[in-house]
Amino acid sequence: MTLLKVQGVTKEFVTRGDGAMARKSTFTAVDDVSFEVELGETLAIVGESGSGKSTTARIAARLLEPTKGSVVFDGQDVTRASGKELATFRNNVQVVFQDPFSSLNPRYTVERIITAPLTYQGIAPANGRRAFTQELMERVGLNPDHCRRYPAQFSGGQAQRIGIARALAVNPKLVICDEAVSALDVSIQAQVLELLMRLQRESGFSYVFIAHDLAVVRQIAQRVAVMNRGRIVEVGTRDQVFGDPQDSYTKTLLAAVPRINPEWDAKRRQAR
Amino acid sequence: MTRYVLGRLGGVVLILLAVCLFTYLIFFKLSPDPAVMICGKTCTPERIDSIRTVLGLNQPLLTQFWEFLSGIFAGRDYGSVHCSAPCLGYSFQTNESVWSMITARLPVSITVAVGAAVLWLLVGVIGGLVSAVKQGTWWDRSAMGLALGGVSVPNYVLALVLQYVLVVKLQVLPFPSAVSFVDNPAVWFESYLMPWVVLAVGYACLYARLTRSNVIDTLAENYYRTARAKGLSGALIMRRHALRPALTPITTIFGMDFAGLLGGALITETVFGLNGIGKMAADSIAKNDQPVIMAVTLLAAFFVVIGNVVVDLLYTALDPRVRVVSA
Amino acid sequence: MSDELFVVDNLTVTLPTSRGPVDVVKNVSFTVGRDETVGIVGESGSGKSMTALAVLGLLPRGARTSGSVRLDGAELLGRSDRDLRSVRGNAISMVFQDPLSSLNPYYTVGLQIAEMYRTHRGGSRSAARKVAIEALERVHIPDAARRVDHYPHQFSGGMRQRVMIAMALCCSPSLLIADEPTTALDVTVQAQILELLAELQSTTGTGMMFITHDLAVISSIAQRVLVMQSGDPVEYGTAEQVFSDPRHEYTRMLLDAVSRIDDEVLS
Repeated sequence: MTLLKVQGVTKEFVTRGDGAMARKSTFTAVDDVSFEVELGETLAIVGESGSGKSTTARIAARLLEPTKGSVVFDGQDVTRASGKELATFRNNVQVVFQDPFSSLNPRYTVERIITAPLTYQGIAPANGRRAFTQELMERVGLNPDHCRRYPAQFSGGQAQRIGIARALAVNPKLVICDEAVSALDVSIQAQVLELLMRLQRESGFSYVFIAHDLAVVRQIAQRVAVMNRGRIVEVGTRDQVFGDPQDSYTKTLLAAVPRINPEWDAKRRQAR
Repeated sequence: MTRYVLGRLGGVVLILLAVCLFTYLIFFKLSPDPAVMICGKTCTPERIDSIRTVLGLNQPLLTQFWEFLSGIFAGRDYGSVHCSAPCLGYSFQTNESVWSMITARLPVSITVAVGAAVLWLLVGVIGGLVSAVKQGTWWDRSAMGLALGGVSVPNYVLALVLQYVLVVKLQVLPFPSAVSFVDNPAVWFESYLMPWVVLAVGYACLYARLTRSNVIDTLAENYYRTARAKGLSGALIMRRHALRPALTPITTIFGMDFAGLLGGALITETVFGLNGIGKMAADSIAKNDQPVIMAVTLLAAFFVVIGNVVVDLLYTALDPRVRVVSA
Repeated sequence: MSDELFVVDNLTVTLPTSRGPVDVVKNVSFTVGRDETVGIVGESGSGKSMTALAVLGLLPRGARTSGSVRLDGAELLGRSDRDLRSVRGNAISMVFQDPLSSLNPYYTVGLQIAEMYRTHRGGSRSAARKVAIEALERVHIPDAARRVDHYPHQFSGGMRQRVMIAMALCCSPSLLIADEPTTALDVTVQAQILELLAELQSTTGTGMMFITHDLAVISSIAQRVLVMQSGDPVEYGTAEQVFSDPRHEYTRMLLDAVSRIDDEVLS
């Protein structure tokens, strides 16, 4: 079943250009982008800085309105949705951002942060806020005893887990991860990726996974869309895109990824 | 670049026109009838009528405003009296031409403003710099404490205290008077010293705190670290990689503050009895001398608006990031 | 190692904190030979950047150091700031992570290169300007004679890092310290910068201390590797040994955690 359908989306920004005296000009960040996300799958959108991948994610999450094109979620056109319609959409689509600390209110306790989406929707958890929070914290691998703590009392990896728990509080059908593991150290990154995959297996929601790190994408995605200068240059299954890339930009991108010397790597694996 | 400057100047003209219109409406339409004010105690309805005719008060509002505006650029006639351009009317109180009142008093205000500015820049920037470099030491803490206190002292209090102590009690300074520099430089300096100090104290304290925080921020910048890693001499690092970035934003603020002062230091001039624009403003407000109030308001607006443009142009010259990339 | 250009011996760095002094680098030892690249790998808080700053005496105020850091046999640790100036940028130069914030926005890149050259080598402004243009050409910045008068914000991220590298190499240092020089860059640009560094090293013979959190990057550029974890040196050896036969548990964990891009690695 197609969960999210982005059709011919274009986003133009009006810029003042370089310098105080430059004239206004429009800059096309996203140019005629279309893709679909099936229920339960992970679609990764990869690209370098300025490729338009984050803008695309923001449009899909309805945090930005597209200049042209439409966003259809669960059969409903939500491109210009507002009010109740938008509230339902927000209930189904949640976002996890790159920097866990700047996206968590430093003055709120973890309990208040995690239950905030419920508060906005006016839902009260059946078993009470405390139990609800602690259950979610346990699910994302946090110590439930820490539910009265503040974000600053957690490490980067733990803070990102709080962000994930908050996204899961409303039982979304789609979670958009915007560079969600980019700011983390490798060892922590591996754990958070593991967590994201486990949660998907348990709950069956979809991911749109925005990232610049192709190796990370390879781990988590079933399908991959490659963006360059606002356009999707290639989209396909993970094995197609990584194993047999068609577009020249995709090839350049894959070739540029630094690799651990494969001989050494193989030797190490054998020795184990 | 030329087009940008012309555009900005066009904007200035529009803003000044708007200021003209608003001050005109406020002072001539909302205040008491000027004809009654001029007429004074021995007044007859006939005299009021004739004054109205001379001043054009019985004309429609727009016509009056137009007369006022064209008077500034082309001069105008009040009955048989010709007021040559730039004509801002005559004082209700003294019957003097407002323009000549301004030109007579402007030098005093400029002297007060320039002297105070030099003083507060020197004291504020140097004090802030030393504090930044000696961050956390007793010097830093006492200087910043003092600066906080200095900002909080109202300058009329400071003016009165200084006057009492230095002039009345210790008699080390003469009572301020607008002596011209050419006549007697020493007395000129002595008589302006107190106004300068009084006006400069608040700004100096503000600038010291600002300079200190800007310099401290700059010392934490990555390019400052780069400059050190390059092995540059301490003086070069300080000049190019600490002072230039830290002080550039201060020029903007200085431009605005200075322009504001050119319109007259109302309180300071009044307290010290200096016959500048500020005192003239205070006197005219007290006596509801509408043409003078109007002129002083316009003058202040003029300085602020022009100051704004100058600061913007200066900033584009000082900060390459906002400079036009010439094609 | 007969040709030891740069020796770090038992370096310990202690920083003052609100909870008392903390050792952020503990007994670190390694050597860099001429022409050689030594990689220092670690996650955030491992002390890898502090090690680099200690070498040039650029540590935060109140930091204390012990041990020995020698370049061509001359001790650097404990020398005065004034004394170290002739070393900084001249014998040992440094490239930082974020090229935009590491360049002064108020001056042209040409002036920023020239001021360093003139500080160490003297000479006229015009001679230094020529050196700056040559330095920009050496790092393959197109149209260098015109670009020399541009400001940092007029360059792209990759080009800015090239400017930083041009600057770092303009006095022909014997050691280059690169602190996460490609971390802020896109992957295609990163590949170009790594290629450039390798190329420049082969022509100049500069020894390099390459600091990064990225094991894959280290694998492609370093001959020897030091792995650090919260200030401790946990493993030190040739790149081949560290990657193919890691001795320490932490190194193994790091290697396992790295996401792989190639087929054979996927289960």
